[in-house]
Amino acid sequence: MLVIDSIRKQFGDLVAVDSVSLSIAAGEIFGLLGPNGAGKTTTVNMCVGLLRPERGSIAIGGAGDPTNKDVRRLVGVAPQSLAIYDEMSGRENVTFFGKMQGLRGSELKDRVAWALEFVGLADRQKDKASEYSGGMKRRLNLAIAVVHKPKLLLLDEPTVGVDPQSRNAIFEHILALREMDTTIIYTTHYMEEAQRLCDRVGIMDRGNLLAIDSVDGLINTHGGASRVIATRPDGEEVEMQTDDPLAELQRLQNNGGLQTFHVERANLETVFLNLTGRALRDE
Amino acid sequence: MNEIIALAAKDLRMLLRDKAGFFFAFVFPVVYASFFGMIMSGMGGGGSSGIYVVVVDEDQTESSAAFVQQLSDLDALNVITTGRDEAQDLVRRGKRAAMLVLPTGFGKAREQIFGNPPKVGLGIDPARAAETGMLQGILMGELFGDLQRVFTDPTAMAGQLDSTIDEVRNAEDIDPLTRTTLLTFLPALKTFMTKMPDMQSDDSSTDGEGTNNAAGFMQPKIEKIDILPQRDGPQSAYEITLAQGAVWGIMGCAAGFGISLVVERTRGTLVRLRMAPISLWQVLAGKGVACFFTTMTVGIGLFVFAAIVFGVRPHSYVMLAIALVCVSFAFVGIMMLLAVMGKTEQAAGGIGWAILVVLAMIGGGMMPLAFMPAWMQDVAVISPIKWSILAMEGAMWRAFSPTEMLTPCLVLIGIGIGSFGVGARVFKATV
Repeated sequence: MLVIDSIRKQFGDLVAVDSVSLSIAAGEIFGLLGPNGAGKTTTVNMCVGLLRPERGSIAIGGAGDPTNKDVRRLVGVAPQSLAIYDEMSGRENVTFFGKMQGLRGSELKDRVAWALEFVGLADRQKDKASEYSGGMKRRLNLAIAVVHKPKLLLLDEPTVGVDPQSRNAIFEHILALREMDTTIIYTTHYMEEAQRLCDRVGIMDRGNLLAIDSVDGLINTHGGASRVIATRPDGEEVEMQTDDPLAELQRLQNNGGLQTFHVERANLETVFLNLTGRALRDE
Repeated sequence: MNEIIALAAKDLRMLLRDKAGFFFAFVFPVVYASFFGMIMSGMGGGGSSGIYVVVVDEDQTESSAAFVQQLSDLDALNVITTGRDEAQDLVRRGKRAAMLVLPTGFGKAREQIFGNPPKVGLGIDPARAAETGMLQGILMGELFGDLQRVFTDPTAMAGQLDSTIDEVRNAEDIDPLTRTTLLTFLPALKTFMTKMPDMQSDDSSTDGEGTNNAAGFMQPKIEKIDILPQRDGPQSAYEITLAQGAVWGIMGCAAGFGISLVVERTRGTLVRLRMAPISLWQVLAGKGVACFFTTMTVGIGLFVFAAIVFGVRPHSYVMLAIALVCVSFAFVGIMMLLAVMGKTEQAAGGIGWAILVVLAMIGGGMMPLAFMPAWMQDVAVISPIKWSILAMEGAMWRAFSPTEMLTPCLVLIGIGIGSFGVGARVFKATV
């Protein structure tokens, strides 16, 4: 669905994206994980034709370069900033952006109704967006992105500033879109979200794509050993790194016994730490 | 094109929902033009008021002079006297609403009941029809008032009848039968009037019937004098403040739409629009169409308001329409320039308004250029406000010919194209 080949983008002295290549299949949810300033949004902006790569190429759905208007019709975007008109109702917002995507007449009407229903805003569609909660605005942002039924959907930090309930609702919508064979690129700096939703994850830092694999694949390759933390009956605390936590716990039990224990398996945070030498959340 | 219309419709919808924006675009110009028009026309209090009339007393009798004084004493009129040519010129140029000519014989006719009725000539400015109707009513009232005084004063009545009897007796062009009849009737009437003074007085003072009956004897005549208008000045202060008010409203629209473009950028909707399958030029064109439509609406609305409330009439409707189109076009370009003045709403608004206010100051938007020193009038050529006001005034009261109109219109179109081009290029480079 999306093929990115060695793209590079530089702003002044800053190389925002450098030699990034990846290929995303139809119906896949691809997570782009990295701290702020890693180059995720620049990559997304090149994927939707907002920026032209200085080098390399991008092709969408076999139709070509996203700077081409016809190719952009295949793409839907929910930007990180809430790109909605507060003075207009939810319905007016979705209808307006539907028109911008070339929808007209009954098709526009049907698609607007579907999008509002899809994100659970049908009952509040006549209210002004300014009266919506943060989570509702995020859902409206998503409704606008999917109103024209895009084949490729780019979600840029779609859960920033939303409550856990709305976050779960957004996850459900994303999974439902995958069922509809929509290809999704999901940028986030929340590793839990990437782990929960994404079929594959690409880890970016300082403009480079450091690794691409499934979540398990990344952890197995770059996560390193699990951490075992145990307390002996006399109160002594034991902490160790191991590739086989069960075997290590068995050994501790046999040598003096265990009162409590805790195993920390490697995760994407650890993967990022191992790949970059610093923690993801420090950024 | 559909996308441009949808973009413009969205902006107009948002403008109507923005109370502050709506006030500055549609209400403020009306308030401005009304307030300053009222001050400049003296309605604010203390100044002279009434219909401006110039009287030509060609009779030069005691009676005609008394009638002029009678008119001057009326609050409803503001009277000056002058010669016929000057009076005609004053009305033609719109300096006075009407000229009133008291021809030779007016004084005598005014004082007699029978014979030729008093005649006055009335020359009016066609653009001041409403005031002229009122003036005709005042004149008829004053002339009938004279008649009423003659009827209610038995001594004056007796004198008038004696004078008439002498005229009939000496007239050579009356046939004998008529002469005999009148010489029988008039002395009898004199006897009747002088011997029953109380009844005369009562009859004429009870109601207006006496006056109406008198009208049957001799109704004063108002004869129309044709005057071709040659308007080289405003008819009222509102015509001056109207163009200024319109410019303020249009500036408000340009600033508002310029800021809205900055808001589109800061809130992220511009990015979303650019990700849609439309070009940046379409986005800017949509904004321009909305701005143009709004400025035209403001201009037209203000002139319709002024026509209804203040009776202002443009010299040429076609020229006014052309002027408004050119002014709106220029301010669409200026809107685009204002949109690149700042990266935030506050910066763009602050810088934009600062520039507009300075342009208004030097361009005659605050004070008519005629009241400014000569050097300021020279500096004003750099201000689009000057050309906007000139174009609208040219259509309103300067009576510009198409050739004269060409200069301000071309300058405004040039400003529009230049500003939009520069603004759009800078905007494109910075988004």
